[in-house]
Amino acid sequence: MQNSKAIEVSGITKKFGPITAVDDVSFDVTEGEFFGFLGPNGAGKTTLIRMLTTLLKPTSGRAVVACCDVAKNPDAVRREIGVVPQAMTTDLDLTGHENMDIYGRFYGIPSKERKERIEYLLEMVGLTARANDLVAAYSGGMRRRLEVARVLVHRPKILFLDEPTIGLDPQSRHVVWDFLRKLRDGDSITIFLTTHYMEEAEALCNRVAIIDSGKIIALGSPDELKSQIPGNDIISLTLDNLSANTVEIIKNLPFVHKVNIENNTIRVYVDSGAQNLPVLMDEMKSSGMKVLSATVHEQSLEDVFIHYTGKSIREEETKKVSLLLGAGIPQKWGR
Amino acid sequence: MVRLLAVIERDLKKFKRNPVVLAMSIIMPILYLIILGNSFQGKLRGLPLVVISPEAGPYSEYFMDNLRAIEAGPQTFTIIRMKDQGDAIAGVRQGRYKGALIVPPDFDKRISLKRRAEVGLFLDNTDGISAEAIRNAVDGAFRFLEPEYVAIRERNDEKYLRSIDLYRKVDYYQSLVPGVVIMAIFLGTLTTGAFNLVMDRFLGIDESYLLTPLSKSHIVSGLIISGLSITTIIATLILVVSLLITGIPFPSVIKQGTSLFIVIILTTLCLLSMLFVILGRIKHPRIVGVLSGFLNVILFFPSGAIYPIASFPEWLKAFAKINPEVYAVDALKSILFKNAGLSTISGDIAFLLVFTIVTMTIAIATFKRTL
Repeated sequence: MQNSKAIEVSGITKKFGPITAVDDVSFDVTEGEFFGFLGPNGAGKTTLIRMLTTLLKPTSGRAVVACCDVAKNPDAVRREIGVVPQAMTTDLDLTGHENMDIYGRFYGIPSKERKERIEYLLEMVGLTARANDLVAAYSGGMRRRLEVARVLVHRPKILFLDEPTIGLDPQSRHVVWDFLRKLRDGDSITIFLTTHYMEEAEALCNRVAIIDSGKIIALGSPDELKSQIPGNDIISLTLDNLSANTVEIIKNLPFVHKVNIENNTIRVYVDSGAQNLPVLMDEMKSSGMKVLSATVHEQSLEDVFIHYTGKSIREEETKKVSLLLGAGIPQKWGR
Repeated sequence: MVRLLAVIERDLKKFKRNPVVLAMSIIMPILYLIILGNSFQGKLRGLPLVVISPEAGPYSEYFMDNLRAIEAGPQTFTIIRMKDQGDAIAGVRQGRYKGALIVPPDFDKRISLKRRAEVGLFLDNTDGISAEAIRNAVDGAFRFLEPEYVAIRERNDEKYLRSIDLYRKVDYYQSLVPGVVIMAIFLGTLTTGAFNLVMDRFLGIDESYLLTPLSKSHIVSGLIISGLSITTIIATLILVVSLLITGIPFPSVIKQGTSLFIVIILTTLCLLSMLFVILGRIKHPRIVGVLSGFLNVILFFPSGAIYPIASFPEWLKAFAKINPEVYAVDALKSILFKNAGLSTISGDIAFLLVFTIVTMTIAIATFKRTL
């Protein structure tokens, strides 16, 4: 069976004055695939999704989405896609049901079909009981779910989601994830998602493209991507003071593949991290180094990102999220 | 058509859920009528005038009687009697009085001796309008200075000018009604139509409909039609209330009502389309706020609603030729005060129609379908 392409992008570029937001990006997405674009804020994810969904004209290159070229036949593309933009776009002065109904009418869906479809989707996202409340009274999570349900009214072939869980608490995030998984498994819809949460890309996507400064730096399934970095675990050590000598000592240990330094934290790429941590600690002690803290974790897409760019996505993101939620960051985030 | 209706319904529902906007759109033009009507008042009244007069003889007494008659009748000024000339002039300088009228003690004597008799009128000429009104009123009182009755006989050899009013009398309040209706339409069109587009953009929710297969004309005409229905309702309401307040007689509800309705609808469409051209690409509602005051002044004040266009300088007359509010005011005045039918105002209607078509075409053509 030949898999046809849902999205074909070749050499797409978008410049805003002197800034190149998306730089010569090419990739394909197969029908039925759950494809993710992972990268920090400002990497060009939103610009890319806006070009693919006809909201921005590419400076050069081309993109075929669903059926047609986005620049040449945007209307036909719009009929085939559903897009959940990063900002919430439902009308606060309308009820959940009205939002969906009016949206369905924008696509010219007949009233009977519209009614059934809306009922089904509201049920799916668990908003049936609140359907006739004004969206202004919804919580952030509820509104986000409504956003997703709304763009499915016209049964799009491809669903685009730009940071679908940004600013949501972990619980609401899982509700959205479960919904997207159900959608992927049940409706054979192609899903294109951008995110800066490693966990999200890992949990949901068949394939992930890692994007930084407008360029794709790695592309593959989460497992493929992780297999590209040496070792299978990472030990992070925070030291009192760091010397070139210390790095040399660690590098020479037999189970160590690679060492990466960020401030006074060393990231050591190793095999069997749990067993080798005590060995590493002994080695540090005997060479007179004081270890302030040590953690072992399995490799994630975060590490893939660090492997390719030498910096972490998490660094700046954690600050933003903590401001957004006004609370501490759950430990597992980003790892 | 289904899509267009959906755009209209979305907009109307949102408007309905914000009753404060609706209430203000109705209350403001009526307050405007009341405040404008009472602040200009057509004729000036109650200007404080200090009078120093000896009343030492028939002439000065008679002059004083004339002044009191003006104070009681047209009420142009209120008389304050004083004794000291210096105090009176100082009072005018300090802004307590608009003028000081000083009749010298030898006034009667000089008139009797057929010598040059003068009275002094010290005016606060920085307030030109008040100064002029007092000067004219005092001049009138002074000119008819006759100590005894003289019968006015008609003489056959004199020329007379007889003026005949072509229409029934229109008082100042009534003359403001067309302007108030236009003001209501302007305010209505400013808070609907293109403004909703600017708000959607500002809130970032325009993406949701830009992503759908709605065409440019669906979006533009949908917003214009919803703005039209809201503004028409408001303007009609204001018109009815203004007619009741000012007591403009209304001979034929059906005939006049239809003409008025046509003018209101066309004016609304005109302004909505024009605002769409001006505001079509604006992203921040604050810019709308700044522009609204400006547009109101440059469209409304030279519209002929307050002051006749014939007295404008040439360049302003040229501007009046392309100002849609001029045609709207003219049409409303013709219907309300001259009892004119549609044929009389066909020129106004033709202009409003052409203006609407041109601006709406530009609005749709320049509307940006991308972000």
